[in-house]
Amino acid sequence: MGKLSGYQIVVMIIMFELGSTPLFELGIKAKQDSWLAMTLAASIGLLLLWVYLRIQGRFPGMGLADLLRVHFGKFLGTFTGLLFGLYFTYEASRNARDFSELTVMTILQQTPQWVIIFTTALISLYGVYKGPTVFFRVVEMLFPIVILSYGVIVILLFIARLPNYHRLLPMLENGVGPVVSAAIPDIVSFPFGQMVVFLMFWHRLSPGKKLGRIASMGYIIVAVLLIVLNAISMAVLGPEISSISSLPLLEVVQLIRIANILERLDVFVTLLLYIGLYVKMTLFCMAAVIMMKNLFKGSHAAWSAAIILIICGLAFLEPNNTVRLWLGLTVMVKLFTIFQIALPIVVLAVGAMRGLGKKGTEPETAHTADEI
Amino acid sequence: MASAIPLSKELSHNSISISSRLGNSLDVVSRRIGGDDSDSAATIAILYIDSLVDQRTINDHIVQPLMNALLVGAEQEQPTGQGMLERLSRHVIAAGSVAVIRTEEEALEALLNGFCVIMVDGTDEALIAVTAGGEQRSVDEPVTQTVIRGPQHSFTENIFTNLGLIRRIIRSPNLRLQGKRIGRQTQTHVFVASIKGIAKQSVVDEVLRRLDAIDIDGIIESSYVEEFIQDRTFTPFPTLMNIERPDVVAASLLEGQVAVIVDGTPFVLLAPVTFFKFFQSAEDYYQRFDIASFLRLLRHITFIASMLLPALYIAITTYHQEMLPTTLLISLAAQREGIPFPALFEAFLMEITFEVLREAGVRMPRAIGPAVSIVGALVLGQAAVQAGLVSPAMVIVVSFTAISNFVTPQINIAIAARLIRFSLMLLAGMLGLYGIMTGVIVLLTHLAGLQSFGVPYMAPVAPFIWSSWKDIFIRVPRWAMKSRPEMLGGSKRKNNARMPDWQRSRSE
Repeated sequence: MGKLSGYQIVVMIIMFELGSTPLFELGIKAKQDSWLAMTLAASIGLLLLWVYLRIQGRFPGMGLADLLRVHFGKFLGTFTGLLFGLYFTYEASRNARDFSELTVMTILQQTPQWVIIFTTALISLYGVYKGPTVFFRVVEMLFPIVILSYGVIVILLFIARLPNYHRLLPMLENGVGPVVSAAIPDIVSFPFGQMVVFLMFWHRLSPGKKLGRIASMGYIIVAVLLIVLNAISMAVLGPEISSISSLPLLEVVQLIRIANILERLDVFVTLLLYIGLYVKMTLFCMAAVIMMKNLFKGSHAAWSAAIILIICGLAFLEPNNTVRLWLGLTVMVKLFTIFQIALPIVVLAVGAMRGLGKKGTEPETAHTADEI
Repeated sequence: MASAIPLSKELSHNSISISSRLGNSLDVVSRRIGGDDSDSAATIAILYIDSLVDQRTINDHIVQPLMNALLVGAEQEQPTGQGMLERLSRHVIAAGSVAVIRTEEEALEALLNGFCVIMVDGTDEALIAVTAGGEQRSVDEPVTQTVIRGPQHSFTENIFTNLGLIRRIIRSPNLRLQGKRIGRQTQTHVFVASIKGIAKQSVVDEVLRRLDAIDIDGIIESSYVEEFIQDRTFTPFPTLMNIERPDVVAASLLEGQVAVIVDGTPFVLLAPVTFFKFFQSAEDYYQRFDIASFLRLLRHITFIASMLLPALYIAITTYHQEMLPTTLLISLAAQREGIPFPALFEAFLMEITFEVLREAGVRMPRAIGPAVSIVGALVLGQAAVQAGLVSPAMVIVVSFTAISNFVTPQINIAIAARLIRFSLMLLAGMLGLYGIMTGVIVLLTHLAGLQSFGVPYMAPVAPFIWSSWKDIFIRVPRWAMKSRPEMLGGSKRKNNARMPDWQRSRSE
């Protein structure tokens, strides 16, 4: 099993959280205070991160599957592990659908969605099949491209004098209420709560590195980035246009017109969002595959193929994007909180009651071998 | 091989037997000396293969001294058999290296390597002496890896000349050369060179282990060895480098790489290598660091261009016209107005044409050269545009791609880009920029999974090793390159400094 460096973990957290997040103007329910809602959600996410890190800290060498079994016993642990596996699979399938919706909305209007979903699934499958060691390296290579591109976009926005801070005023026009209701549970669940997936990968950190510091650093960097992007996007479009636009970031970028050459940068931004979606989808899919492999044995290749097929199927579940967004924002968010908040807290509590992870207590189940 | 046949005490029997095992070939010379008039009573016989030895060495250092010795000794009592053999070995034969052999097989092997065999009647031992010679190409200027400033010599086909070229640069007792014979029929010399204390021992051992596993009739070129010892076969990317410049091989040895030198070819293999090593040219280190860094960056960009440019052109003109500034779009549209083919087909037509031209340029006899360039430049470029078959913009794209491909200093990674270009063009034609992106992600995943002798192929970018970035996209001034590249050793190693600390302060 290849070990991961601290840098790789930081980069993966940044790329994963960045993912497709800029695609949506999160917290638009709070109007011009969306960035405050983001900040609130990010702070709550930091608490969640602490919970996840505490769980991992008990047994630094264990993945989520083993952690659940150690805390809940073999039967219940396997069952919750299976639920987590399904959750990861569903998240990945939502990313696949995001991919195809984004594509047909922007750059390939006439291509059938299933073509996009299948090609996406294929590249994801390749990454999953190659295993975490290789995939983390791929993300390492994509990272500079993505960060530089976002940097350039922000600089160009300022050169074109698009952001106007009066659009962010007045702050807290309707009190704290809308900010809180926008942040909880929606933004907490997406993207910050999705950090739970890292419980599948943190144990691969090469020994001797301080996981807590590394993970928090990555998280804080990306949280600040997301809040800044959110605020800038709001400062460019204003709450009214943001709330009716389906792809606000693309509209923001389309406004950049410099020297008759830099126009229509939205195509590049679409590619950036693709990279984010790819990273997110593949990591979720990888988590699901490793989870299933740990729970039920079987070969990595077989589980990869099976999970990818399920993801393809799930991606076609909703008839259209409107139903999908409604389902995601109303039903699924509540389901997701089970995995992102409720279960981890239960695990933390159970562990504290049983006194697990103190010095001298040995894990009750043997480590599941990860060969990749 | 059958059990060895020992030499017999009878001289004529030995020489007839060995000759017949070589098929009584005409270039096997058997010279008898001494004794009385009848051939069968000769006391000494010399056996050698005419085409492999140096005639002057045979005449001046073997035959002449032997005859003198027999003449001088004619009055005295001659030792016979074993005594004679020892006398010859100690006092008579004037060759650098003389050895005693006892079997016919040893005699055969010696003969085939250009030694001459000296047999004495009455003993079952024989002497072999170095007389290898024959025509060799002299050390020339490098043909494929040229530089403006820097050493202007290259390896030759003779492995011992090549080893000498390396030893002359690295005059260190730590330079290790481990020899092997590979090839059931060809018995080719293969040497593994490394510097003890710099190269990672596990890599050296792994190279030797993989070399030992080779079982084949013949090794003609180092590419035979390369295909056997590379990590993965199914990849367009080379995981070993081939070099014809002794200075580059020496510098690489000093960075901890291992060289595999194969007899019969001027191309020496280097391992382990990473992707970015292929963009380093010897010239980078012989010119000032600023221009070297600029050229290094240029090479990386042109490599990407040579892979992506036609695909991008297809994707943008077919699917994403809105990305272009309006005036450029109008001009492109006007050019494409009369073109009967879709952009994908047009691009394939031109790319394949270019590949044909290029292959013709490499294979054709030199005298026909100008004819091909006229046909290529005029008929397929200008005339194709005037005939309305391809648009001028496409010709520019294809030509620029082709030239970009030649910028890469290592031909074998440029070839990889050529192959990948076609699949990316196909993806671009079907799915536009989205298709290109899928292709690139698959490519990156493939690259991230490659290894060369345990070293990740994309190091130091992925996995990220900051200390090795000093010589990847840019070349920092030499005083800043204080340590050897970590990635080639695989981990942080002690004794990694290649210059003392004070060097930096002095140069400021």
